[in-house]
Amino acid sequence: MTKGKKIAMYVFLILASFISVFPLYWMVCAATNTSADVLRGRIIPGGNLLVNVKNLFAAQDIGTALGNSFKYSIVLTLISLVICSLAGYGFEIYHDKAKDAVMSVILLAMMVPFVATMIPLFQMFSKAGWLNSTIGFILPTISTPFLIMMFRQSARSFPHDIIEAARIDGLSEIRIFFQMFMPTMRSTYAAAMTITFMNAWNNYLWPKVIMTNAKSVTMPMVVANLTQGYVTDYGMLMLAVLICTLPTAIVFFCLQKSFAEGITGAVK
Amino acid sequence: MSKPSMKLSLDKKHNLTGWIFLTPGALLILFMSFVPMIKALILSFKTGNGGALTWSDPIFRNYSQMFKDTVFIQSIKNTFFYLIIQVPIMLILALILASILNNRNLRFKGAFRTMIFLPCATSLVAYATVFRTLFANNGLVNLVLTKIGILSQPYSFLTHVWSARIIIVLALLWRWTGYNMVFYLSGLQNIEYSVYEAAKIDGASPMQTFFKITVPLLKPTILLTAIMSTNGTLQLFDESVNLTDGGPANASITMSHYIYNLSFKYVPKFGYAAAMSFLILILVAILAFVQMKVGDKRD
Amino acid sequence: MKRKLMSLLLVGAMTTAMFAGCGSSSDDAASTDNTATTNDAADASTESGSSAEGGKLTVWCWDPAFNIFSMEEAAKVYQKDHPDVDVEVIETPWEDVQTKLTTAATSGDLSSLPDILLMQDNAFQKNVISYPDAFTDLTDSGVDFSQFAAGKTAYSVVDGKNYGVPFDNGAVIACYRTDVLEQAGLTIDDFTDITWDQYIENGKKVLDATGKPLISMQAGECDLIMMMLQSAGSSLFNEDGTANIVNNDTLKVVMETYKELKDTGVLTEVNSWDEYVGSFVSGDVAGTINGCWIMASIKTAEDQNGNWAITDMPSLVGVDDATNYSNNGGSSWAVTSNCQNKDLAFDFLASTFGGSTELYDNILSCGAIATWAPAGDSDKYAEGDDFFGGDAVSAKIVDFATKVPSNITGVYYYEARDAVAVATTNVINGADIATELQTAEDTVNFNMQ
Repeated sequence: MTKGKKIAMYVFLILASFISVFPLYWMVCAATNTSADVLRGRIIPGGNLLVNVKNLFAAQDIGTALGNSFKYSIVLTLISLVICSLAGYGFEIYHDKAKDAVMSVILLAMMVPFVATMIPLFQMFSKAGWLNSTIGFILPTISTPFLIMMFRQSARSFPHDIIEAARIDGLSEIRIFFQMFMPTMRSTYAAAMTITFMNAWNNYLWPKVIMTNAKSVTMPMVVANLTQGYVTDYGMLMLAVLICTLPTAIVFFCLQKSFAEGITGAVK
Repeated sequence: MSKPSMKLSLDKKHNLTGWIFLTPGALLILFMSFVPMIKALILSFKTGNGGALTWSDPIFRNYSQMFKDTVFIQSIKNTFFYLIIQVPIMLILALILASILNNRNLRFKGAFRTMIFLPCATSLVAYATVFRTLFANNGLVNLVLTKIGILSQPYSFLTHVWSARIIIVLALLWRWTGYNMVFYLSGLQNIEYSVYEAAKIDGASPMQTFFKITVPLLKPTILLTAIMSTNGTLQLFDESVNLTDGGPANASITMSHYIYNLSFKYVPKFGYAAAMSFLILILVAILAFVQMKVGDKRD
Repeated sequence: MKRKLMSLLLVGAMTTAMFAGCGSSSDDAASTDNTATTNDAADASTESGSSAEGGKLTVWCWDPAFNIFSMEEAAKVYQKDHPDVDVEVIETPWEDVQTKLTTAATSGDLSSLPDILLMQDNAFQKNVISYPDAFTDLTDSGVDFSQFAAGKTAYSVVDGKNYGVPFDNGAVIACYRTDVLEQAGLTIDDFTDITWDQYIENGKKVLDATGKPLISMQAGECDLIMMMLQSAGSSLFNEDGTANIVNNDTLKVVMETYKELKDTGVLTEVNSWDEYVGSFVSGDVAGTINGCWIMASIKTAEDQNGNWAITDMPSLVGVDDATNYSNNGGSSWAVTSNCQNKDLAFDFLASTFGGSTELYDNILSCGAIATWAPAGDSDKYAEGDDFFGGDAVSAKIVDFATKVPSNITGVYYYEARDAVAVATTNVINGADIATELQTAEDTVNFNMQ
């Protein structure tokens, strides 16, 4: 690559990064300013951070909300990855006409807006006594057509010779999945983990319907609480939003290496 | 003589294994999605406001009613505008970013990737507030545009029809490009890097590499993201509610936003709302079917 | 790697186990649920049986600085005489209250509702009429509704029955920056008991002298339109529930006035609520008109201490029943039908929000101004507020509240409001008022089918 092209590439990346990060920067600044300053459009850090921290922790039970959000998101992510990758693998590796047809039907499941299925789902969960519980939070989104399809699509590039070789070595099908597919597809798992964690963490509409006591609140619910009063304290709100954003960002940062730094080593 | 029959039984065994593997996921979807969906479908044939619902007369009344509903028709037009403009731009941009960031010799890859991914992790409340602030009458965008003389006085972006719609498209691009990039990045890992090195040695230009190697090999992933984005856009809700509140005068309201209003803001009409939801299902299903036909061929 | 694999397998095993559990779940869970409810019922009966005094009330409301604070104060007041009563407040944003209520009531399972919930006045009729089974009639609960401002109680009356105990005041106040008015040679007296014509004249003077509009409003929302309309006792619905839009002469005057405000630059439209609050906090406009709860937002601009004054709103010109008083926002307490101990809930509300000057004195600090008449006579209400130049604003607002003409919210309030908002946007952009009102009425009629 010529030098000029290289510079152009970096300029493009820096620009894209700047645009992407600006709102986050603004959020960090806002978290350190007073509410009035935020509304006046101040975009440099201020000295009100400690006051905002104090107010936020006095106003909301951040500890409980963070604990719940982590609990729900981690449990959901782990279970979801196993179930969906197994299904995606099953759909692709052993594919035939019938399974392709089932896949198409499953895809239909994500095409109805959640608002429409929410009430019947609530009915079921309320009857089952799952309101305010972890199982109530995770069950509807453990198995998603999206994740299944993601694993199905990526299983397509999983070399079939590996499977054949493993079969000759006498490995059972389930062991091939756990011992060959899972480690080889590290990058897909890492990406899926990030996305699933993020979706679980940010899920709002469903918890707001089934979580009816103060002990079950999640971080997004706390953020929503802060926006509802006659007066919004924007400094405090942005601090809460910042706290709510960080975990996903950190998860991504930790995992991005594994989903971008190749599987070549593992395959060979 | 015995060989074919053995092969058959092995195939049968594998076939069965496949079904066992996909059963947990499929059953969960059956109970968590299809059972409520069928209940919603039944609901869509009922009318009445609030809790008391009766079978509608004629039975398809909710469905025929939709086409007389000016707000709903407006919302369909808006949603398709977002779909047609935003999805292609976003996917192409995400592909370009992913292939640049897949370059082994690039410095600060991790930092760039994280930064470009961050928008979709950023909480909705924060980014909606930022966008509204940026495009406010005395916001940064107006300030810059008046300073450099493009505008003589501040333009009210969110209260004009086309600028409001374009801001929603921009917001969507901003939020979801990095998200899609993640899938491409992870998909690119399944392409042997040596393929790229070989192409380089053969003197292929980056453009050629992109179109001849990256795009074809990423086809399964591109299909995935295309279906996802189509589905996501047709169910678009957050931006319409938080950025423009559907305004000005419903010029940017989306179908899901209207369905939400009908369910929770207005006198609840769940039958009618469910009927609209099934229209969305049909629209997405048709588009997804077309995309599957085009993109889901095994070589 | 091996350990990782093990843990993954473990998760897998767990999942299958869980999944096996959930395959047979529906019967199992239903039966456990039944026992749970019977237990609950048993608990409730023993509770009410053993002592009429003891018990627990759960409450949904949403603003820690305002209505949650008030509810907690009410609990303290009540606990003085009833030490074994427990009040648990669960912070639930208004939108979530609505979502949860709708979901529970539509699915026919009210068991997730609290004993008491706070409801926006504008949504009261809609919810009670849509879900009559979810609420408790409070007419004979012991609360003396005649002591509340009539315009306020009307929001929560359905078919002559009271379903809500009024809470906060939404009486409209006009707020002005006296220091800015001064630059145009005007005082707060020039804005008291005036008409919109005079308001616009004054507004032009302020605009010439300072370049600042008098007021900002959120585009696409029609708060000001609704306030103007109610100030003349007019509504978007008739008594019989039919839409009153296209033949509503008051509404036409309101639209014309609003357009003139906008055209003359006396009113500036902003894009969002943040920008609206920002416009007066940062001093870009010389005042605002809104429900009295807006004072709390104004007060966040601490550097403007002493520069604000409050008076009544302008009145419409050429309308028979025009007044200088209106209402915007406000909320009331409702008792759900899931309440296990209704006598306790009734007694609690009657002896706090419906009967304690002490409570209203205590919560005045958070800006909760009573609509309960006896509270207004308290000395606390006569105290001056330095932020507003030492004026006794609380007493003033209580006085305004008694003069607010009552109006008909109707079940389809939000539908009508949105339709009128669309009409307003189009009228401002030059569309014909009559045509737009016709479209709005058609939209509302369509929704009422």
